[in-house]
Amino acid sequence: MDEKPTRRVALKVLGATLGAAAFERALSPLRELSEITSVGDFMQKHYRELSRDEMNAVLRRLEDETQQRYGREVTIRDVRPTEGVQFAYALNLSVCIGCRRCADACHVENNHDRPTHQSYIRVLEMTSGSMDMEQGNTGYDHTVPAEGKFYMPVQCQQCENPPCTKVCPVEATWQEPDGIVVVDYNWCIGCRYCEAACPYHARRFNWHKPEIPAAEINPDQSYLSNRIRPQGVVEKCTFCLHRTREGRLPACLEACPTGARVFGNVLDPNSDIRWVLENKRVFVLKEELGTRPRFFYFFDV
Amino acid sequence: MAHSGVPHHLSYPRFLLKVLDRATDGTWRFYAWMFVLTAIALVGANTWAWQVARGMAVTAMSDHVSWGLYIANFTFAVGLAAGGVMMVIPAYLYHDEDMHDVVIIGELLSVAAIVMALGFVVVDLGRPDRFWHMIPGLGKFHWPVSMLTWDVIVLNGYLAINLHVCGYLVYTRYRGERPDPRWYLPFVFLSIIWAISIHTVTAFLYSGLGGRPFWNSALLAPRFLASAFVTGPAFIILSLQLVRRFTAFKVPEGAIRRLLDILRVAALVNLFMLAAELFTHFYTGGHHAAAVRYLWLGMHGHHELVPWMWTSITLNLGAVAVLLTPSLRERRVVINTALVAIFAAVWIEKGMGLIVPGFVPSTLHELVPYAPSIAEWKVTAGVWALGLMVFTVALKVGLQAMTGELRAPGAQADLAVEEKEVA
Amino acid sequence: MLPIACEDPAGYADRSRRFADVPAGDGSRHAITVHRPASLSGIVGTEQTPQGQPVEVSCATCHEVLRPPPELPASARTLGGPHSGLRFEHGSNECRSCHDPERYDRLRLASGESVPMTDALRLCAQCHGTQHRDWLHGAHGGMNGHWDLTRGPRLRNHCVDCHDPHAPAFPRFRPMPPPPDAPRRRADHG
Repeated sequence: MDEKPTRRVALKVLGATLGAAAFERALSPLRELSEITSVGDFMQKHYRELSRDEMNAVLRRLEDETQQRYGREVTIRDVRPTEGVQFAYALNLSVCIGCRRCADACHVENNHDRPTHQSYIRVLEMTSGSMDMEQGNTGYDHTVPAEGKFYMPVQCQQCENPPCTKVCPVEATWQEPDGIVVVDYNWCIGCRYCEAACPYHARRFNWHKPEIPAAEINPDQSYLSNRIRPQGVVEKCTFCLHRTREGRLPACLEACPTGARVFGNVLDPNSDIRWVLENKRVFVLKEELGTRPRFFYFFDV
Repeated sequence: MAHSGVPHHLSYPRFLLKVLDRATDGTWRFYAWMFVLTAIALVGANTWAWQVARGMAVTAMSDHVSWGLYIANFTFAVGLAAGGVMMVIPAYLYHDEDMHDVVIIGELLSVAAIVMALGFVVVDLGRPDRFWHMIPGLGKFHWPVSMLTWDVIVLNGYLAINLHVCGYLVYTRYRGERPDPRWYLPFVFLSIIWAISIHTVTAFLYSGLGGRPFWNSALLAPRFLASAFVTGPAFIILSLQLVRRFTAFKVPEGAIRRLLDILRVAALVNLFMLAAELFTHFYTGGHHAAAVRYLWLGMHGHHELVPWMWTSITLNLGAVAVLLTPSLRERRVVINTALVAIFAAVWIEKGMGLIVPGFVPSTLHELVPYAPSIAEWKVTAGVWALGLMVFTVALKVGLQAMTGELRAPGAQADLAVEEKEVA
Repeated sequence: MLPIACEDPAGYADRSRRFADVPAGDGSRHAITVHRPASLSGIVGTEQTPQGQPVEVSCATCHEVLRPPPELPASARTLGGPHSGLRFEHGSNECRSCHDPERYDRLRLASGESVPMTDALRLCAQCHGTQHRDWLHGAHGGMNGHWDLTRGPRLRNHCVDCHDPHAPAFPRFRPMPPPPDAPRRRADHG
């Protein structure tokens, strides 16, 4: 009677030990986590909780990590908005020829993953006379513009009533005072609820660690926009806030060869964007959803 | 009524040790079953570890279909957890004696199903290492605005309620004491409402998104509940028969009959709601019907989900036909086959047939198909294995407490007579 | 949005971080510069300097000297000399519609005023008023530089940078490659 329980317990302990060892082996790939995160990363507070000094320390740490992981020295700044500025963007559908240079410029400016040729902009080839996106096509690969077609680039609309910021469980994404909807890439837990909520296919998820050769990296980076994002987090168009918050034009606009894109401060009555909104017959996509985009489309006629 | 007389701070640790002892004790069948489940769980854990290290590119998800097999199974598991409560209503609201004896099995299923649901959420996260960001106070908990935060509260709350009720009942029986109704009855009644809420909130996660017309329907939450009340009872009926076969626990036939009654009604309601959805989409046509058309008929040359859906509806209708045929009522094998069939049918309908078409076509009307990768199947199997392990161990311990096998030294064994008086 | 008492949706713990530290400006605005296309100042020939640079010949080199100016040909196809091979597709216009018949290296506005070639923008604007109006407001022709002229300058394209005045239709060309995850159809390739 005494022998059996002891032997039984011994067998159980042996089984448990083997099980624990097997479990440890099973989870061994987690050792590679050092390539995508660090202790500093784990402990970091939310972007809006950081003091100036803490923010600077975070920026230095991120610059070091970029150096280690990508072999390039970069500058990451915390570019804040200017008071009295509300951005808006307009796109002339009569002038866009569908060359996708905007999408390509975004790819380069924002340090996107090279293998997937990621970009925040997708251009739809639409049939003239119809706004039905189901007839649209993003995969066209012929000389542009084609007969009977017009071209509609779509990117984040920086909605006034964004469905994406509502759904985030950890407040990793929010709307800034100048209207840009941003993501704190070091706070996002990667649940992708925002990606499900967005009606404009504006958000991208880092399905793997982004790959960019050191020579192709754009070293002028900011925390909330074009720094190289980590694996497992969501990202989106930020209207190039590292440029626009300093008065410069976004990369997509500068790349457009026909001048279909108009950008500026909608609060400035003398701005180009105000003129377009007041003089062209502008409309927004999916207006019935009540998202109130800041991205307006118009035709010249 | 005899107490074991030992104070709780001494008796509870002993109880836990005894539970651990009993949880790891059994026949060769038990060990074989747990070994297989452990092996599957380890494969799943390993695949998940690779997914965390190398990124979710090991799955077949994309920026077009950004939720897939994991969230499909999450949704299904929440339904299973809600369905467990279908035993509680007849037992406590209608004083069904037969059901009262077995209601703990439903509650234990809820525990295991919630563990699975939470497991599926964790494996779907891009950065599970940042889990602490969700803890109120420590991180940033976006309640009450984000529906996901509501889901976190209701799911964990439901787990806590069921753990408390089951834990309390098992612990008091271990001590040979009569359970005090004040300590568990309020929680039981709370669990009824709470079970409705967990699946309603989960449905609201999807139905509130204007950008996803396939989900943006008032009927989504009711459909979820109807299908939950199919899968829960189906699983429990099958489990009850296994309990009869492999343990000393007496399962009254009345409990099974009552569950079958509930299942029949729920299955018919579920089918009716499905018909209502199909009519609304196909009759109206237009964009709203794009996802439904893709799902059932294929679109633009893509038919990936069509075989799934037609299999699901065939199994569903076949199972319902069997369950409604009076002459087949005593043919246990046929009934069990029908239960397995309807369980599978709802798994397809609620999983692949709900989550994936929400993303196809995309918000820009691009049709990018999705089929889960091997890695996703492995991780999913691992989480199911974990859930089944929890359920097996919980049942083992729980039922041993009910039959009197799990007793503290010196505690009274048979409490059956006294319990009937209480209820 | 559900009402949440006492919560600033974009609240910053360190309020000094909410906005940028903007130095007080003097209100001055930077310049908008319009690009000067080389093709308005002369012709780029096939010859090269000893340093390998293409030789640019100003219009005046020939047109100052040739008196009287040669006869305008019936069609642009028969132009010779440095202008051979000129492609002309500008609606129902003729050479004289834009070029000053006394001085082919100058342009003539609708009023009869002769302007240098570098003033071509005024001429284009006379017929293409709507495009010119859009261009003035940044809605046509693109730009580089700053949207905020208090912080930096802006460079604009000249009409001629994109539109060859003799065949002004915007050229058609191959686009950048489609996104790899776009659904592809047979009709995509042209």
